[in-house]
Amino acid sequence: MRRAIRIGLATLAVAFMALPAAAQFKPIKPDQSPPTDSRESYIAWMKANRGESEKWLGQRWDRYQALLRNKDVWTDKTKRAFLLTPREVFAAANPAVAQRGYEHAFLDMGYGVTMSGPHLQSRMTEVIDVKRGEKVLEIGTGSGTQSAFLSELTDKVWTIEIIAPLAARTRGIYDKAIAAGYEEFKNIQTKQADGYYGWPEAGPFDKIIVTCGIDHIPPPLLQQLKPGGIMVIPVGPPGAQRVLKVVKQVASDGAVSVTREDIYGGKIVPFVPFTKLVDGEIKGSHNR
Amino acid sequence: MALQAGALPDVDFNSRPSLAFYFSVALIAGSVIALQIGIMRVFSVGSWAHFGSLVVSLAMFGFGLTSAVMCVGKPWFERHWRGAVKTALLLFGPVMVASNLIAQQVPFNAIFLVSDPAQKWRLFANFVLYFLPFLCGALYLGVVFLKAQKTFNRVYFADLAGSGACGLLFLLAMYVFKPDDLIVAPLMLWLAGTVLWFIAVSDRRGIIQAVAAAILALAGHFALPPLLDIPKIAVSDYKGVAYARKFPDAKRVYERATPFGYMEIYDSSYLHFAPGQSDNAGFNLPEMPSKAYRGMYIDSEGPSGIIRTLPASQTEYFRYLMMYYPYVVKKAPETFVVQFGGGLSTAMALRAGATSVTVAEGNPMVLNAFRTDAELKKFTGDILGDKRIEVIDYDGRLYAARTRRKFDVIDLALADSAGLSQPGGFAIVEKFSYTREAMRNYMRALKPGGVLAVTLWNKEEPPKSVLKLYSTMVAAARDVEGQDVANRFFVAASYLSTATVLFKKDGFTPAEVETLRKHTAAMSFDEIYSPGFKADVSMLDATLQGYRDQFFYEGPPPDPTGPGPEEKEPHDAPPPGAPADEKKDGASNGEPSKPKVPATDIGRLWWHYLINGGIEQVADRYVFDTTVLTNHQPYFAAYIKVKDLLRFTDRLELVQDEWGYLLLWATLAIAGIAALTLVLFPVVFGWRTIFSRYPGKFGAVVYFLCLGLGYIVVEVGLISHFMLALSNATVSASVLITGMLVFSGLGSFLSERFLDRARSFMPKVFVAIGALLIGYGFLLDPVLDMIGTLPYVVRILACLAIIFPPAFLMGFPMPTGMTTLGRLGKDHMFLWAWGINGSFSVLGAALVPIVATSFGLPAVLLVGGIAYLVAIPAFFRVLLPLPGKPAAA
Repeated sequence: MRRAIRIGLATLAVAFMALPAAAQFKPIKPDQSPPTDSRESYIAWMKANRGESEKWLGQRWDRYQALLRNKDVWTDKTKRAFLLTPREVFAAANPAVAQRGYEHAFLDMGYGVTMSGPHLQSRMTEVIDVKRGEKVLEIGTGSGTQSAFLSELTDKVWTIEIIAPLAARTRGIYDKAIAAGYEEFKNIQTKQADGYYGWPEAGPFDKIIVTCGIDHIPPPLLQQLKPGGIMVIPVGPPGAQRVLKVVKQVASDGAVSVTREDIYGGKIVPFVPFTKLVDGEIKGSHNR
Repeated sequence: MALQAGALPDVDFNSRPSLAFYFSVALIAGSVIALQIGIMRVFSVGSWAHFGSLVVSLAMFGFGLTSAVMCVGKPWFERHWRGAVKTALLLFGPVMVASNLIAQQVPFNAIFLVSDPAQKWRLFANFVLYFLPFLCGALYLGVVFLKAQKTFNRVYFADLAGSGACGLLFLLAMYVFKPDDLIVAPLMLWLAGTVLWFIAVSDRRGIIQAVAAAILALAGHFALPPLLDIPKIAVSDYKGVAYARKFPDAKRVYERATPFGYMEIYDSSYLHFAPGQSDNAGFNLPEMPSKAYRGMYIDSEGPSGIIRTLPASQTEYFRYLMMYYPYVVKKAPETFVVQFGGGLSTAMALRAGATSVTVAEGNPMVLNAFRTDAELKKFTGDILGDKRIEVIDYDGRLYAARTRRKFDVIDLALADSAGLSQPGGFAIVEKFSYTREAMRNYMRALKPGGVLAVTLWNKEEPPKSVLKLYSTMVAAARDVEGQDVANRFFVAASYLSTATVLFKKDGFTPAEVETLRKHTAAMSFDEIYSPGFKADVSMLDATLQGYRDQFFYEGPPPDPTGPGPEEKEPHDAPPPGAPADEKKDGASNGEPSKPKVPATDIGRLWWHYLINGGIEQVADRYVFDTTVLTNHQPYFAAYIKVKDLLRFTDRLELVQDEWGYLLLWATLAIAGIAALTLVLFPVVFGWRTIFSRYPGKFGAVVYFLCLGLGYIVVEVGLISHFMLALSNATVSASVLITGMLVFSGLGSFLSERFLDRARSFMPKVFVAIGALLIGYGFLLDPVLDMIGTLPYVVRILACLAIIFPPAFLMGFPMPTGMTTLGRLGKDHMFLWAWGINGSFSVLGAALVPIVATSFGLPAVLLVGGIAYLVAIPAFFRVLLPLPGKPAAA
């Protein structure tokens, strides 16, 4: 454990190197959005408001374009949320993957948890269709990226992490980021607990997003989901998960039913790109 | 290190070497095999067994490499044999400890193998590190063989018998050492073998040096990790037990190391199980059980849930699990639970009102824990002590085959762990409990009107295992009940959760079908098949095409404005709710589309064609192989069709659960290349010079190639076969390795007597081996099934008796060939032959699972038998004398 704490501290120190200086920060209000007409104008606007580095902004923009093409995001609100979420800040918690925050791959964050890739994360977020003011619960804080994403969509986010040192590490990242000016992260309530039981004091929730695997859907979470509420939950081992969309319906006679659907239409969620297209033809894959 | 030979007396191993010499050879050979099994254990517990096999297979090329180098540099080794052996021996022990410890500091994570370039280098580092100790062991054995080539039979006997005996010894060591410290076992064998060597060559200083090296190695293994704060064994963060250990209130309540695995049980409020639980449970149950489970981990893999004895107020919970199905239609049944596992099925049967529960468990370690551990007995309410329970301490499928008792309910549910395992959790494991033969036996063990319920994880999309199960059960039902089985089945599934197949002897009544359908609806499960069920066959083409497209999409790119060729780009189906026109913003506001559940659709279609005919055509078009499981091909894995193999090489990430199988092909390919390289090495350096005067060299190559390949193919193939009787891979492997090697050693020892008559005698031996093996291929299964019902010790003895005839005879060819080469003075060929034999052993070992998955286990023995027959003509080439020398025999 001593070793784990040492590593935790070291990584924490690195994490903050990805944060821009507080002086450059202007809070972005919910009705403000970065321009999406060109890469240059996006980067210029973000630099002016957030002071984030051009390197990360460029990568974020390029990934955003890939998200659009793959139909992982399609509403303006989710596009905006992605464009505002600094993935690099969270990837930096593990120095080995610090440079890879905008890659399609899922990343090792230590403690046996992964940070989901931007495509999967965006798709899961888009599928639950978060409206401003809605209450959203995340199970499995992990790297913290998913809740950061959600905090750009609503001001009521709760997130639970089961692994104590990881929960502390990610809380530390939020605090530092808030101090640096990411005020929307104040919308995120964190706690270390067993997410299986949800957060009953804060419920019921409009949307629930589970980001860790389990062999069944926890009944307490279904209970804390409002009628008509949507939950997304992955099934399977890290890196080979299928993601279920679960909708809770209550009939007029009060009978509750649950429908399950796969957000990839039954497709295995890939963690590296599928095939490489050259002049419209498949020419191998993008695997290195 | 002192390498001088000077003052020491010369030793002639060709005349009468001392007993210490033979024991030294036996113990070092034993140490090599113990190290081999030990490394595989370390990989099983720490990361993933398949990489262990891969690493060990390649490490064994240390023998091939040594032989090739010695063949080319023979004069040097003859001059410096004493120093070479001493160096190799003194290094072997410390290097095995150091390599292991260092390798544990650079663990690699299989799940990132494709996405993270650094992982490849870590894997490579593991190869290199584990290669080094084998190199030392091989150098020692190589020099010893060279020095004693004229009495090769006896040395070879020591080599084989030592390997065999130490294999068994290592099995026992697994009771003593935890996986962290297993390396100590080969280290001790090494120390004993090394000391004996120095006694044999009268090198007193060597003895002291060996003891010093051993102390150094032991100190390194035990003192360095705590000192440097590094782990002795790196358990991947992604192994089941790694999560349990991180839970704040996790407590290990049970731990035991045995040859059947390393078993741990954890208690934590964070462990939640409810395999196949209905989503409605949370809304309809008055009280959910809390802290109901403990997690059982075997070799860090798991968890399997162990359920607490529940108060009466909470037992309603069982109704919400899918495996409850048989009890919806059978009241107060006599139940047979095929596999105890964590005890969930058994607890359910008791709570569902079974009048008697017969429960089988083939893993003695599990039974022992539940029977003897006071704490566990308290937690489970001493479930095995319930007076309604009868325990069968061997595999349920064997009991079903032999018993005269008949049951109302036979339950085979989720015999594996929670299914959240690593990629490759789907290893190439013989699943004899799920074969057509086993299903037939369960069906025959039912009373009239009895129900067989099989529950399987249904987490695959596209589905593989469940489709194989469906086909297998229908095939078995037709064997037992005739062609028309339409009213014998009821099938339900929960999407990406579990699936249950119910088979009822003599068929379900309409009233029962109605009851089952109501239960299915009440639980929000999906009905997959029931008598009279109509599947929407118009979906067939689209569903099959959709699955193929997931992997082999060949249409135009979805968006021509996509990025350039070098940019990374995913290509996924749009998610539910995505607008049809991507230019339009905002969520779709059209009609809510029907939820996409392709696995459910294909399941229904599958049953339609299974029952009404035409499944063969559908299976042909399905993206994966769905062959029925039989005792000859008892695999859920290996679902990629062989013809599609190459098409998956650039999209491995999509078939992670098949990596075990793909690794076998990779191992075969690498082993093939390595074997050829090693064989060609002396050819390039010496075909014209060294071998020019040797007649029959090509024949000799074929001879030793056949022996290397044939021997290992039989050994590894029989390990899989004997699982039928011994039920456990580790025990089966140990019994086989020990039996084969010791009996072959005996054959080797006796072969000396026939050396003068080899020309006439050996062909008979080869024919006998070929006939035995081919005969075994066809006749072994029923015999092993019968043996499987006997007490465990008797089973082992019976298996050894079966192994004896071929193994004994298979001990003849190798030493006869080698000694002949030695006596004919073909020294280079002697060394080279040993290397060819070793290299093709590795290739053969890699070949076995491929042949088994493609053609069935009998085919493996057939390959072995043929290899020995092909060796006959080649043997006569080995006998050709050097020009100007008399013939050998």
